[in-house]
Amino acid sequence: MKGFGYLAKEGLKNVWSNRIMSIASVCVLVSCLVLTGAAALFSINVAQVVDSVGDSNETTVYIKSDVSQLEAVYIGKDIEKVSNVASATFYSKDEAFQQYKEELGDELFNKIEDRNPLPDAFIVVMDDLSLYDETVAKIKNIDGVDSINDHRELAKKLTDISNLVNIICIGVVGALMIISIFIIANTTRATMYSRRFEISIMKSVGATNSFVRMPFLIEGMVIGFISAAVSTGGIVLLYEAVMSAITSMIPFTYIPLANVILYVAVAFVIAGVVIGFFGSFISIRKYLKKEGNEILGW
Amino acid sequence: MIDFENVSKTYPNGTHALYDVSLHIDKGEFVFIVGSSGAGKSTFLKLIMHEETPTSGEIVINGKKTSKVKRREVPYLRRHMGIVFQDFRLIEKMNVFDNVAFAMRAVGKSTAVIKKRVPYVLDLVGLKDKMQDKPSELSGGEQQRVSLARALVNNPEIIVADEPTGNVDPEMSHEIIELLNEINAKGTTVLVVTHEHELVREFNQRVITIDHGRVIGDTKDKSAGIRYSDDDYAGYDEYDDAPQYPDNAVVLPD
Repeated sequence: MKGFGYLAKEGLKNVWSNRIMSIASVCVLVSCLVLTGAAALFSINVAQVVDSVGDSNETTVYIKSDVSQLEAVYIGKDIEKVSNVASATFYSKDEAFQQYKEELGDELFNKIEDRNPLPDAFIVVMDDLSLYDETVAKIKNIDGVDSINDHRELAKKLTDISNLVNIICIGVVGALMIISIFIIANTTRATMYSRRFEISIMKSVGATNSFVRMPFLIEGMVIGFISAAVSTGGIVLLYEAVMSAITSMIPFTYIPLANVILYVAVAFVIAGVVIGFFGSFISIRKYLKKEGNEILGW
Repeated sequence: MIDFENVSKTYPNGTHALYDVSLHIDKGEFVFIVGSSGAGKSTFLKLIMHEETPTSGEIVINGKKTSKVKRREVPYLRRHMGIVFQDFRLIEKMNVFDNVAFAMRAVGKSTAVIKKRVPYVLDLVGLKDKMQDKPSELSGGEQQRVSLARALVNNPEIIVADEPTGNVDPEMSHEIIELLNEINAKGTTVLVVTHEHELVREFNQRVITIDHGRVIGDTKDKSAGIRYSDDDYAGYDEYDDAPQYPDNAVVLPD
């Protein structure tokens, strides 16, 4: 297109000359994008955890704390006798303690070393996971078995939480997106108002509507692009911090940011630019129907 | 070049701005459109610029019926004409060069063309030395010449000047019309809307008189109305409170 460089420059000039409104638009759009991104990252992490939990054919059976380790060995034999159980491996409370200590740090655990609160357990592997519920019921009936860490229950809970978070996020993000479009529409409308004199002259000398419109569309898209860049930076800063905080409470391996950040960035740019475009487009559409003095309000 | 065929314009609020106006302006003509305020001059201009469309009748510009012009074709219609406004409409923060260049950028001309054309046109209106000045640093007459340069820069076939001398010193007014005359001599059709009869008298050009929405005089086309002697113009501006004329009445001043 002829004169595109000039139009792009005008668009950038608009963003700068109207910077207070531009910053307001960027802020709203950033909160919209960061929330969307956070929700998406949360749900793919949950999905991964759910997958790994579902895949691992391992069920932890906890033994009552008043049972000695010798008695526990017999309980193990009983568990192995249950049909559909392939193996039951003893997992002592000392081993468990050591593993927690490695994962979560020495400090806390050194203090309680001599009074280990963890129970002894068996790691049970089943032949056929479709018989899971019945097998678990049978194991529960064995004397000395305290509880069973039902991974499926956990997986289901996680999925439920993830779904709930997604529904809330869709609502919030939808509302924020509408707000973003309106704020950007207002921003470009304010720019248009401040440049109405130029617009009226452009129209009087025969500038086409698409030409008049272009700097304002660029303004909207630049705001969208800046928002996308800021949001990507925000996600980079937040992700590691939030994830290490969560994993210190619930140990699990989260998806490294490097694997997904490119997709996040691309999605942000597309969403930001599209929202910016539409925001500007709806506000200038009305304006371009006016002529001459109407534009100036004289 | 410009044809009005039985053009009437009634605004949505009921104001009758033009009644059954028919006139013909040839390519290369210089025409004064005179009339007091409220006579329908500004509607006449808006119709030519296609800012408004007639309620009835047809306007033909460059052989093109404007009723057939689609919305997206309007900008291209306007590129045939350069508009000079009474209030100059210069952009304060831009210097003289950029103000004129703005009209070229608005129609997508390249920087290389702009750099060649703008100084040429500014030279034409005698402002080559003031290219870097801001409009506020210029006199009214100079500002109007910048406005004229901007109207000329895209090389239009028609120049439409709306009260070009309205905000200019009387001495400068003569100069502005002289400049328009020179432009006309180069083949551009020039329409000057004014209420300054003194000025009109100085230049022996065609005069179309509009009053209360009608063409009541045309020094070229006698059938369009009654031609006035110069004396008849005296006190013309006081006619504003005259009664509305019935549709077919032949109107004579007292």
